[in-house]
Amino acid sequence: MKLSLNWIRDYVAIPEDFDLKQLAFDLTMSTVEVEGVEELARRFDGIVVGKILEVNPHPNADKLRVCKVDTGDGTLHDIVCGGSNLEVDQLVVVACPGSFVRWHGEGDLVEIKNTKLRGVASYGMICAAVEVGLHDLFPTEDDHGIMDITSFGAAPGTPLAKALDLDDVILEIDNKSMTNRPDLWGHYGIAREISALYDLPLKIFEPYIPEAVEAFPIEIEDADRCPRYIGVKMEGLSVKPSPFEMQTRIWRVGMRPINALVDVTNYVMLALGQPTHAFDADNISDKIIVRRAKAGEELQLLNDKKLALSEDDLVIADSEGAVALAGVMGGVKDSIHDTTESVILEVANFESTGVRRTALRYDNRTEASSRYEKAVDPERCDLALSMTMEFFKALYPDMKVTAFADSYVKKLTKKEIDVELSWLDRRLGKRIPNEEVSKKLGLLGFEVSFTDTHMHIVVPTWRSTGDVGIKADIMEEVARMYGYENFEPTPIVTSFEGTINQLDIDLVRKIKEYLAIRCGMQEIFTYPWMSDEFVAAILQSTEGVLKLSTPPSPTESYIRSSLLPNLCRAVVKNERYYTEFSIFEEAQIFRNENYQSKYDEKELLPTQERHIAGAFAAPSDKMKDLYLTAKGVIENMSRFTHMEGFTFKREEKPVWADETVWLNIYLGDTKIGDLALLSKKASLASGIKNLATVLFEINTDALKPFKSRTNVFSHLAEYPTIEYDVSLLFDTDIKWEQIRATALKKKNNQSYLKDVAFVDEYKGAQVPAGKKSVTVRLTIGANDKTLTSGEIESCANGVVKILVKELKAESRMK
Amino acid sequence: MKEKLLQILADGEAAILAAKTEAELQEVKVALLGKQGTLTGLLKELPKLPPELRPEMGKAVNEVKGKLSTLIDERREELKLKASEVPADFDFTLPGKMPMTGGLHPITQMRYDLDDAFRSMGFEIFQEDDITSEYYAFDKLNFPPNHPARESMDTYWIEGHDTGKAEDKLCLRPHLTGGSVRYMQTHKAPYRFVYPGRVYRNETTDARHERAFFQYEALIVDKDFTFTAGKVMIKSILSKVFGKDVPVRMRAGFFPFVEPGFEIDMGCLVCGGKGCSVCKHVGWIEIMPGGTPHPNVLRAAGLDPDEYTGFYVNIGLDRLVMMRYGVDDVRLFHSTDLRFLEQFH
Repeated sequence: MKLSLNWIRDYVAIPEDFDLKQLAFDLTMSTVEVEGVEELARRFDGIVVGKILEVNPHPNADKLRVCKVDTGDGTLHDIVCGGSNLEVDQLVVVACPGSFVRWHGEGDLVEIKNTKLRGVASYGMICAAVEVGLHDLFPTEDDHGIMDITSFGAAPGTPLAKALDLDDVILEIDNKSMTNRPDLWGHYGIAREISALYDLPLKIFEPYIPEAVEAFPIEIEDADRCPRYIGVKMEGLSVKPSPFEMQTRIWRVGMRPINALVDVTNYVMLALGQPTHAFDADNISDKIIVRRAKAGEELQLLNDKKLALSEDDLVIADSEGAVALAGVMGGVKDSIHDTTESVILEVANFESTGVRRTALRYDNRTEASSRYEKAVDPERCDLALSMTMEFFKALYPDMKVTAFADSYVKKLTKKEIDVELSWLDRRLGKRIPNEEVSKKLGLLGFEVSFTDTHMHIVVPTWRSTGDVGIKADIMEEVARMYGYENFEPTPIVTSFEGTINQLDIDLVRKIKEYLAIRCGMQEIFTYPWMSDEFVAAILQSTEGVLKLSTPPSPTESYIRSSLLPNLCRAVVKNERYYTEFSIFEEAQIFRNENYQSKYDEKELLPTQERHIAGAFAAPSDKMKDLYLTAKGVIENMSRFTHMEGFTFKREEKPVWADETVWLNIYLGDTKIGDLALLSKKASLASGIKNLATVLFEINTDALKPFKSRTNVFSHLAEYPTIEYDVSLLFDTDIKWEQIRATALKKKNNQSYLKDVAFVDEYKGAQVPAGKKSVTVRLTIGANDKTLTSGEIESCANGVVKILVKELKAESRMK
Repeated sequence: MKEKLLQILADGEAAILAAKTEAELQEVKVALLGKQGTLTGLLKELPKLPPELRPEMGKAVNEVKGKLSTLIDERREELKLKASEVPADFDFTLPGKMPMTGGLHPITQMRYDLDDAFRSMGFEIFQEDDITSEYYAFDKLNFPPNHPARESMDTYWIEGHDTGKAEDKLCLRPHLTGGSVRYMQTHKAPYRFVYPGRVYRNETTDARHERAFFQYEALIVDKDFTFTAGKVMIKSILSKVFGKDVPVRMRAGFFPFVEPGFEIDMGCLVCGGKGCSVCKHVGWIEIMPGGTPHPNVLRAAGLDPDEYTGFYVNIGLDRLVMMRYGVDDVRLFHSTDLRFLEQFH
């Protein structure tokens, strides 16, 4: 919201030499955020009033003229201009060399220089209104017209800002910082804050005393939605421009002047935050009815939008039908037009949330609706009525009020609050004298009285619509008026009760650091919603998947029951730039099942688990390596993150997995995840073009962190161990896990065998079909002696024998 | 002849020491001891000497020969050890090999930095579910029944759970504070904890607005805690995270679940408070709302607001990370684009 400082000064006497930076700072610290302070006159630096003394033809151009212009500096200047309305003795706007204008009102500001136009020297430029940003105040019918300010009668050389009385300061307030303060949405409300901040008197408005006229017929059918409606019928009006000062004020704060009748309503709203509306009386049949709309009832708004209304909308109607959307916008039929002579003025109060719902329903938020939805108090109608009637009387001396009614059907009660003084002292950390509290709150409109132990507060109406209601609110009022910066910092005191020991939280961090730092994977974040394409490719079913009722896009309504669809989407995205990469994500997944109460029996929440999932992508010829890399990451995770280890089983192939390369990850008897190569089909359906992808997903809620590290020290071997490689032929369906388990049976037998490791696997020319050669590395040694070669051989032979016997291995050893 | 021999010895010694490579040394050796070498030449002259001088001279020549040979061998050893094992034209400016690449998301990094800072001040870390009920998201937090944030345009409601009573309506959490109530319900006051997490808003996105973004909530509840202690807490944390003293100011602000509420600004680190485009020329950047928990929120958590009070802040992690690195588009955080994420290893 923009505010004019001159306008604020109408209501509170801010000293002329007041430091505006300080004002902006103080308002920001105690009331609302001032985002900008602009000296309006700076927009017109170097732009002055010029008087045209001669208009001569241009020797080289038909459409240009060469004017002799007095710009008040003692010299007559030649200025070349194409304006269609140039006249001798006209006062015009001259942008002198060094000033800035906006060329034809478009693009960036351009600096004006002494220049030659078609061979004739020109001193600066005679401006059109659009070039100095004043087209709203000086509309022209002709695009080629220059801005004519003859009627202002200023002397040549007068700065334009002074000539038009635009010497003002514009404050820009962040709207977000006052959503809870309906009283601040106008100049008067901010003036009140300034009055309280600096102990300056605030202007008081005299109430409007209605003349003895007939009662205007008003029927309010929904008092909750319309607590008050004042209707005033006036005759003897006409559509004409409003006074220039009123126009510029409206313009300064970002609205457009229209005509006197509309400008008065806008001016009052900008002054007080109370919207009002003027209907053309000729088109209101008999009376005003404030009622709910009928379903499907039609209304065409001022901005030509045609609405089919809902029963939740509140409308202003006459007996023929709806004429306006209450608190939002007037209708086209009953609006002010060029021949309007009599008007029905509406000064009304509408309930906030209803106005908001209606404005949002039709995507039609207006200056009025944005004020009503903050909860304006009904008493403010009095101020607005008083100010509006003053203006109408002044602008239309012959105006007659022919009917009046004030239907105040739901009165607002002021809030009353008792505050224990000792409580206030404790919370503020200091004592603020009663007189000071009383004075500051008094300036804000609170009635304050004290007993020995308590303070009793009566909240003014404009703060009683939800803003102030409890003693903490009063504490805030006291603290902000005293100045938050004026409270001394206090240290935080605590008592020691033990160390913080959160194993589950720490485990997830360890896993993420393991994946990122030890395994070289990159953490990513994706949204919780999944795109339908990836749901179809990876999950292949939407059973048990939760959905959003208002999704970010129609094809992203499902929320994840697995992290894999979005990981695959990230693979597709990165495939364009990288041929080999690995990524992981930690986030929650959701399932439409198992609703339970964790905190409050009234609340039932679905399954939500924290998962970690990863994707490894590389060209397809590295598929096996890729799988083994991913497997290594999972196999070693527990060792590096200090938790109970997992095992692999093959119980249930994930739907997205390759037929051969897949494993289920188990913790004890519980399945906690999967590891597999993404199937060709799922890969194609995902849109992964070239890369092979191996995926894993683990439920981290199921993991069991150790209470502390469990590594056990073992003595370094005193006697040598040797590594002994043997190559054996196996049937190709024999798996390494079987070979290792079988070989290790020897270890259990108290032999010298210490470990069995995989070295190599070979299939090809030297090996018969259906067979593979596997090289196994045996670690052999004893704890109490150096083994002889005979002992080593006999140990190795023992292992080979058992492999031959149990797995039908063929030894190639002699 | 004797002088000649001494001269050969002196010259030979100098030449051997001067040799810089094995090849040069070989040349020296040939020049001294080769078939055409100077010392060999001298030996050849021996027969011309009177017979009585020959034995003495022969011995002297052989001694010199032995000395020079030893010197050459020693020098060769020396040169051998000194020489590089790599050809001299090896390009030592070639780039080094990259270690394992990979890393945590920049938001996770900031979160862990904050976790460490808060833990050092005795805060616990709390985690909660992403899906919550309207009851916890709004009712328990003092949002009036018709608060705009409850309407579907601001919150992602779950299909099939989007009508009825507040406890029956489920949504993706629009903020973390409802979760904080859960912590308070299940722990005994006084307490201090932080609650990092992602929240969801049904909004139009642009460079400064996201539908999913990260918050970091910190809450202290204690008896007679004044809001000025909250300022001390924020200043300590920010100074640790940014590695330098960060000015902090608290000003009037409004949020339904605090009273009084504050907007908390930190001094702009880009310009040092002088004013720049990052801080819109005011020298301060709004980074978090905060305040004293609203009495209704404390009541929802089962506490007596006359006895307990406290301090709450909700740090916008995305904005803090944007500040740390100068990131100018919040949507990059969820882009999954490795070209972006790799910049923060």
